[in-house]
Amino acid sequence: MSTTFLPCGDYHQGYAEDHAWFQTKFIKGKMIALFLVLFVFIPISYWGSIFQSAFNIDNYWFSLIIRYISVFGADEYWISVFNMVGYTILGALGVQLLIGYCGQLTLGHGAFIAVGAYTSTLLILEFPWPEFMITLGLAYPVSIFIAGIMAGLFSVLFGLPSARVKGFYLILTTMAAQFILVDFVITQYVSQIGGRGQAFSLPPGTIKIGPWLIDNNYKVYFFMLILVILSCIIISNLVRTRVGRAWVAIRDNDISAEVMGINVIKYKLLAFFVAGFIGGITGSFWISNLAAISPEHFPWFLSLWLVGVILIGGVGSIHGAIFGSLFMVVIMELLQLAVIPLADTYPKLLMDFLFIKEATFGLAICGFLIFEPNGMAYRWWQIKNYFNLWPFSY
Amino acid sequence: MEPLELFLMTLVTGIMVGGIYALVALGWVLIYKCSGVLNLAMGEMTLIGAYVSLTFYSMGVPFLLALLISLIIGFILGILTERIFLDKLIGEPVLSVIMVTVGLSFFFKGVVELIWSTDTKVFTPAVFSIEPLKFGPIIVGEVYLWSFIAAIILLVIFVCFFKYTRWGLAMQACADDEMAALSIGVSARFVYAAAWAIAFMAAGVGGTLLGNINGLNISVGYLGLLVLPAVVLGGLNSVPGAIVGGIAIGVLQNLSGVYLDRYFPGAVKDIAPFVFMAIFLLFKPYGLWGWERIERV
Repeated sequence: MSTTFLPCGDYHQGYAEDHAWFQTKFIKGKMIALFLVLFVFIPISYWGSIFQSAFNIDNYWFSLIIRYISVFGADEYWISVFNMVGYTILGALGVQLLIGYCGQLTLGHGAFIAVGAYTSTLLILEFPWPEFMITLGLAYPVSIFIAGIMAGLFSVLFGLPSARVKGFYLILTTMAAQFILVDFVITQYVSQIGGRGQAFSLPPGTIKIGPWLIDNNYKVYFFMLILVILSCIIISNLVRTRVGRAWVAIRDNDISAEVMGINVIKYKLLAFFVAGFIGGITGSFWISNLAAISPEHFPWFLSLWLVGVILIGGVGSIHGAIFGSLFMVVIMELLQLAVIPLADTYPKLLMDFLFIKEATFGLAICGFLIFEPNGMAYRWWQIKNYFNLWPFSY
Repeated sequence: MEPLELFLMTLVTGIMVGGIYALVALGWVLIYKCSGVLNLAMGEMTLIGAYVSLTFYSMGVPFLLALLISLIIGFILGILTERIFLDKLIGEPVLSVIMVTVGLSFFFKGVVELIWSTDTKVFTPAVFSIEPLKFGPIIVGEVYLWSFIAAIILLVIFVCFFKYTRWGLAMQACADDEMAALSIGVSARFVYAAAWAIAFMAAGVGGTLLGNINGLNISVGYLGLLVLPAVVLGGLNSVPGAIVGGIAIGVLQNLSGVYLDRYFPGAVKDIAPFVFMAIFLLFKPYGLWGWERIERV
């Protein structure tokens, strides 16, 4: 289901065209429209305020127009919801790479996100950065990179058993990663560093990329967009190179892959490294959104949630990670919005919302697996093909 | 306390708690053997059984009767779960089936929290007396002893059930070779439903016994995860393996809680089984008595 059927009359005449990002003008237009929506229309009220302060306009009519336009964009609350979506996409991409492309089942990805978050935080708080790096705002970007590598190495460490076991047994070792890293090492030892107690809070002004200080939801949103787009590009390019083909071969049948001359262990560990790297970047991105980080932010639930997200979205496609994240996060928010008006009459409902959320999530996973085992990405593919091939679908 | 006494006491406590683990692990192995489903919802199943018997017990029903009621409800729930969720997934890839059980575990957990809230509840009045029993130098809580005895009795019943009854033989046949079993007239769907029902019942007893030790709250469901190291140790499809594995994990957990806590303060007791399991898998991926799967392209 990787290729989309082209409309009648569109032909590819070369290899480069076959693998182009934007295969038709329509797709190009569609993507530009998507970027416009993501970068301009959703955070329109932010652009409005930037525009206003940049030109120092103090005009009644102008601010009125800005206020009316802002209605079409997302307000602060929805921006924070979108940030959550982005965080889930970034986390789910790593899981997608492991489960969807390399076939290595993992239920411990949250641990590597936690490793990334803690590495980044500790580097910012404890590392004696040279003065010029802080003034240039290099501390955070460098720490993101190191966090990625660190999480990648831990991921490889816990992926080592994949050399010998697979399937269910691999699930157990990755689960062990979650319990050992988060519940034990981070909770008991890492949290003691610096004597701050359980939660590490980042002082304002430390999350800074170059001259760009990330201090509100809108800026986190832009940062998130850039990261998501970058990692989508990297992963989709990676899976069509030799490495990605080797991963898919291992997923489909690891013994055949080995017979064909693929170094299975090397590529499995490489998949673990890349997935851990993305997980680490996810974690260090998320600290820009959290006032304080503590082990409770990375429970086992997070790992399960990410696997659930890609199952709902569709295993084995990047679309799947995105659709699944959007669906799950937005559905949960809508559920919450539906609960709030009811809370006046049933106050217990608000308290119990967490449990309802848990039960709904469980039922959603079961329902999708039973009734739509290919996920939402498959439906999307079908819809696209329907319109591409319309009116003669043969 | 003398070092030897401490060691013996830890060992005995470990064996007794391990008996409960073995019981739950048996339910797990049963499902895996019969239908090839890797069940991650075991912890929540123990929770449901435990809460049901606690509810009836606190309503004034005698303990054994309450346990019986929870067994009956577990039986019904097991059949329902299999029919509604698992029945449609026969033949699907392993990840789908595992994730359905994960989904089930969330669903069960959410429902349990909704109905019984998250506060710790205890069996009042206490079922077992608090007075510890003394066997020479070794002191054992009465709860532990009774739990162990109950677990052993149930294990014997289970083993007899498999060896001598018609249903049990049908289940064994199905586990051994599903196609052959089908061709001689064993109903696989019936066997799957029975496996889930029995697993639910075993989980309920295990949960009730554990709830008697330290009171009942959502963290008792953690037991369901401890079952995984136990079955990995024994081998996924081996009934004696589940029993040995359960007891071994109980002993290991208690020993590490006593001896390793000095060197690694914190929750060593909770993660020791998992560390052990991760290392064990590297050397013996199929457990002690599991079937080694030969793969062909």
